[in-house]
Amino acid sequence: MKRFSFLLAVLLVVALLFSGCTDDAPAAVDEDGEVYEGDIVIGTLYPVSGPMALLGDESFRGAELARQKINEEGGILGRQVVFVSADAPDTAAATAEAERLISQEGMTVILGSYASPISMAASEVAERNQVVYYESGGIANPILERGFEWMFRYIMQASDLGIGGIQTVASYGPDALGKPVEEIKVAIVFEDGPYGSTVGKYAQEEAERQGMQVVAFESYSSESIDLSSLIERLKAADPDALSITSYINDAILFHQQAEELGFYVPLFIGNGGGHAMGDFAAAVGSTVDGVVNVDVAQYAINWDRAPGMEEFLERYEAAYGTAPRSGHSVLNYSGAMALFQGIELAGGVMTSEAIRDGIRAVDIPRYSMPNSFGAKFGPTGQNENSFAVAHQWQLVDGEYKQLAIFPEELAVVEAVFPIPAW
Amino acid sequence: MELFLQLIVSGILTGGIYALISIGLTLIFGVVRVINFAHGEYLMLGAYLVYWLNVLTGVDPYLSFFVVVPVMYLAGVATFKVVIKPVLMRPSFNQILVTVGLSFFLQNMALLFFRADFRTVQTSYSSLAFRMSDINIGFPRLMAFVVAMAVTFAIYMFLKRTYLGKAIRAVAMDRQGAMLMGVDINFIYTFAWGIGIMCMGIAAIMIMPIYPIFPLVGQMFVLVAFVVVVLGGLGNFTGALLAGLLLGVVESFSGFFIHPALKEVVYFMIFILVLSIKPSGLFGLGAGYEEVGLK
Repeated sequence: MKRFSFLLAVLLVVALLFSGCTDDAPAAVDEDGEVYEGDIVIGTLYPVSGPMALLGDESFRGAELARQKINEEGGILGRQVVFVSADAPDTAAATAEAERLISQEGMTVILGSYASPISMAASEVAERNQVVYYESGGIANPILERGFEWMFRYIMQASDLGIGGIQTVASYGPDALGKPVEEIKVAIVFEDGPYGSTVGKYAQEEAERQGMQVVAFESYSSESIDLSSLIERLKAADPDALSITSYINDAILFHQQAEELGFYVPLFIGNGGGHAMGDFAAAVGSTVDGVVNVDVAQYAINWDRAPGMEEFLERYEAAYGTAPRSGHSVLNYSGAMALFQGIELAGGVMTSEAIRDGIRAVDIPRYSMPNSFGAKFGPTGQNENSFAVAHQWQLVDGEYKQLAIFPEELAVVEAVFPIPAW
Repeated sequence: MELFLQLIVSGILTGGIYALISIGLTLIFGVVRVINFAHGEYLMLGAYLVYWLNVLTGVDPYLSFFVVVPVMYLAGVATFKVVIKPVLMRPSFNQILVTVGLSFFLQNMALLFFRADFRTVQTSYSSLAFRMSDINIGFPRLMAFVVAMAVTFAIYMFLKRTYLGKAIRAVAMDRQGAMLMGVDINFIYTFAWGIGIMCMGIAAIMIMPIYPIFPLVGQMFVLVAFVVVVLGGLGNFTGALLAGLLLGVVESFSGFFIHPALKEVVYFMIFILVLSIKPSGLFGLGAGYEEVGLK
């Protein structure tokens, strides 16, 4: 028996060792791990497994579709684009995988990563090794406040969400409420992680700048089981407008408990996160009507200002058999395309320096990319031609969809305020 | 005044959920004396079972009781026989590590098979609420509270009035003595573990209309469950009920009057205070029972 359990233990250890080996090398790599000469090789780092897998994978799909598109059109300067993909389900894996991509796979540019914590961790590694990190999804402001020289971000910042939300209130509030901006009472609520805190902070600054009265400034844990005390506090504050930043779980919980406890607010502004997702609408049902989501552009926007959007949707449907699950795919699709242009401007020279200079040379005006952004990277690496778009959930043909209401160039529908009572 | 009452009502309703997820844990603690770190994962598995039953057969979560309860009992029995029994005679650290490993295993199996998407069950009563003179009471939460009381009462009566219940209490009190009196320890352990997991299955049914589920949802609840169980006294499930309700009310008030982000801080502070003054928990069996689960 002892002999047997010893053998079993040995077998388990060996199995564990082998479990580290994966077979996800891209098709363009042969058995020795050599990439065919001449290909443009880009590392990708997304959470495609684990708790963030839904949107991490959605993000990766966008990048992958961009890669397929450019390869069909002849590649970059005649050379095919190849991804070497890494999966980063959490920050520990992000650090480890970034190291692997750089030291073992020799990547000189990494494209990623959907979530701010993943981005923070992996870009740290990239910066240390002087490798370009091109971020398409993580919005937390601190990401580009570290004085990095090798990092770029295609998506706008968390602060833009908070500010955009309050600006939406300032634009529509006076008419909907029948009172001037200075008399509007706004409550700012956010999950207490870096994403929520950043958005909340900038929302408050913008509200004060606009002269509104901030009647509540509350944080809460996104893992709460119960938000009733928060909602009671908000009821006591009696706001006209609510700016709330949540992940999906807490967005649903808040909404359901608000309905249960009779907390209604005429302007309900979500800032990306949970309020952007179809799962949110499905879970809360008809009370999603009128909820605003300030976010990257989603799909119901003015396609005249988003050239390439239709083609993207066709490609997505052809490749995956459904409509996109969120705006992350078209975001990463456009971001990857901007990166490809940067590499083209670098003459296809795949050193970090050349790629960095190439990306800095990219100059695409707003409303030119499939997700309606432009691309022009400022001194910190931030894309100055990115911006937040306000959408409102409205009933369209029996289904709730997010329709763009602001800015005007992208709006497809009139906003409805105050939102329907629930 | 209404505000005060509303806070109490909301607190008690949440406390009912806390109590429900803790009853099974305290039973396992008290009888088998093993700290089950995988307890939250059974909530997750039970919830997925309810979800898939609803999606595949359209059965209402509350009605799926008749399927979920026996299945979860069997899952508990299986877990005990396969995972726990081999380490029962081993040092308690090994037992803890085994349940932690089980927890990771179950979480990742769920991630693998069910993916990380959030699932919700649509019911007609998810947002149903009663309004009684300005006090709002959500129907699903009210049901969860009622069921928590019912389950506690049922287990209490079972332990007090039946022969098997007496045997279980004997094992919890003094394992050696019970063995000497002819109690089949193995059966008692298996049964208690099964019932403990079954309670988690009931909890899963009651929370389905309220929370979305995903593979890591167990983690959200399990920490509170441990606090409730220790606060109430390990092995004392009426203690668990009362501690759960107390925790709910404390959270509700501190969330309102102090700050929503600090409500966990308050109850953890109370937790630490109680443990320093009365380590066996608020309703624990007194000195000598502090180390249930470690001996």
